[in-house]
Amino acid sequence: MSALIEARNIHRKFGKGDLITHVLKGIDVTIEEGEFVAIMGKSGAGKSTLMYQLSVLDTPTEGELLVNDTDVLTLNEREATDFRLQTLGYVFQDYALVPDLSAQENVMMPLLMRGDDWQESKDTANRMLDNVGLEGKYPNLPGELSGGEQQRVAVARALAGQPKIIFADEPTANLDSISGTQIIDLLTCLHREEGQTIVMVTHEPEYAEPCDRIIYLEDGQIVQK
Amino acid sequence: MRSLRIGLLLGIRQIQRASYWTTGLIIFVMTLTFLNLIAVSGILVGLIQGAENAVRESAQGDVIISARDDEDFILETPSLMRTIATYPEVTAYSVRYTGAATMEANYTERRDLSGERDTASVSVTGIDPIAEDHMTQLSELVVDGEYLDPKEEGYILIGVYFLEEYAENFGDFLDTVSNVGPGDQVRLDIGDISKEFIVKGIVESKVDEVNFTTFIPEREFRRLFSRLDRNADQIVIRTETPEQNADVVAAMEANGLTTFAKIVTFEDNLPKFLIDIKNTFNVLGTFIGSIGLVVASITIFIIIFINAVSRRRHIGILKGIGIHREAIEIAYVAQAAFYAVTGAALGTLLTYGWFVPYFDENPIQFPFSDGILAADPEGTFWRFVTLFIVTIIAGFVPAWMIVRQNTLNSILGRK
Ligand SMILES: Nc1ncnc2c1ncn2[C@@H]1O[C@H](COP(=O)(O)OP(=O)(O)O)[C@@H](O)[C@H]1O
Ligand SMILES: [Mg+2]
Repeated sequence: MSALIEARNIHRKFGKGDLITHVLKGIDVTIEEGEFVAIMGKSGAGKSTLMYQLSVLDTPTEGELLVNDTDVLTLNEREATDFRLQTLGYVFQDYALVPDLSAQENVMMPLLMRGDDWQESKDTANRMLDNVGLEGKYPNLPGELSGGEQQRVAVARALAGQPKIIFADEPTANLDSISGTQIIDLLTCLHREEGQTIVMVTHEPEYAEPCDRIIYLEDGQIVQK
Repeated sequence: MRSLRIGLLLGIRQIQRASYWTTGLIIFVMTLTFLNLIAVSGILVGLIQGAENAVRESAQGDVIISARDDEDFILETPSLMRTIATYPEVTAYSVRYTGAATMEANYTERRDLSGERDTASVSVTGIDPIAEDHMTQLSELVVDGEYLDPKEEGYILIGVYFLEEYAENFGDFLDTVSNVGPGDQVRLDIGDISKEFIVKGIVESKVDEVNFTTFIPEREFRRLFSRLDRNADQIVIRTETPEQNADVVAAMEANGLTTFAKIVTFEDNLPKFLIDIKNTFNVLGTFIGSIGLVVASITIFIIIFINAVSRRRHIGILKGIGIHREAIEIAYVAQAAFYAVTGAALGTLLTYGWFVPYFDENPIQFPFSDGILAADPEGTFWRFVTLFIVTIIAGFVPAWMIVRQNTLNSILGRK
């Protein structure tokens, strides 16, 4: 197994001068291909901030970061965008779907951006929606779906481009426990059956159970438990 | 263009999901802007255009033949006329003789022979009443009395500017006679020769050339002015369509007719100042219309800005999952383009489907012109293009401003 993510001595500070907030204080993480990793910790511990660094949405103030053997810190904005498109998938806390697009079109977005033709993208999108249990909801707008259903559309969108890694930041936080469990089951299933690499932030220990490994974060540092 | 597909999809869906009211209002603004762009200069130019049309219709026709600069009259007029009549494009023509005379009125009732005589210096046009009417519908300009009867002799038509009652409105600088109407007797004096005429009718036109002359049949004119060689002063010609004018003139030139006379198109005969005024009005109108354009572009800017700001988070997420900036910018530009094209299309439809025909039917009454709405397709097209480009820019700038913001900040709604 080769490491998909290699993070060394990652620091993230915000602000300037006296107002500096030191959020991540030297993080070392390695995530292997096929791992399902949970990041846990108290609110304000820096979980999201760490996730943004690993998922190339933010740039560390200091440190080294290899994702899928790419030195992502040297990428310019356009290259980083393309890297995210080709390699990474995202599930955000509050679904983050485009409200004007149907479930199907939301899932088609990354596929079209990759250059798949229209019909191909449509077929893939439908297959993905079927996988997350949303047969017959293709034309629905996000507003016409429940929170759990929207989050499943988001998972379908993240999966559509067959990313190397899926990042999920508290994907269950806005859901009732039944929908939340459904999402976790979905991710678990993906991990078990397809060997999908997943990095998930959560603060529900119960949801971290299916994970291979849990990284605990406390005040911007990894702690062992 | 992968970004184009995504951009159009996003743009079209946003338009589809937007409220009909808002969309309708925005398109209404664009339509008004376009109309404003067309109407202001269109009416100003139409004012001159209307005057030109009137001169073309009731005075000068499409092709004007006059004496060469080195001659007093059109040479060989009768044979020239026979040649001209053979041109298939020529649908009507009128041969005119002009001269100056003193017109005296009210001389029979004048008791005091030492008192002031009632006279006016007039220009006299000798015409073939039938040909002239065919050419310029002169008979329709008769506002009092009747048109000349070709079978009668001794009758005259008088332009309104020589009559005190009509000319009063224009101040007293015009040389007029008073109390003259149809049936009254006037006398024309040309040097030693004088002849009495009975006023047959009064003519009035938007064209001063008509108001400032008197008409008598050509036979009497030639006798009166001793013009026995039949060489005329002016021949005006109507062609089938004004587009042919230049070709007709060129053909006449090729046939050697210019050895007898000067031949010009109506367009070339227009005084330069008129063309200058027209161009100036066009620029002026476009400038005034441009203020509307600025307002419209600000409107579009604000609409797209608010739209993009309210979707800042979704824009961030799209960029987060790997959608290129251009795709998102195109989505907003597409919306702006939609508003512009729909608005301008409606405006064009209104202009040509309603305003132009309406003003052609019901010209705005100016003293010197029947003002129409001049909207030539080329000018309209360029205004369309201008509105389109301005709107695209007005849509692009705010989209660009929002889309370029940091992706994570947009997603998290920071700053
Ligand atoms: N842009 C920022 N500027 C200043 N402080 C920030 C910024 N982003 C996060 N923080 C701070 O970093 C800490 C960790 O935030 P976060 O990673 O969101 O925590 P978690 O996700 O673990 O709840 C918090 O105290 C937060 O206030
Ligand atoms: Mg968090």
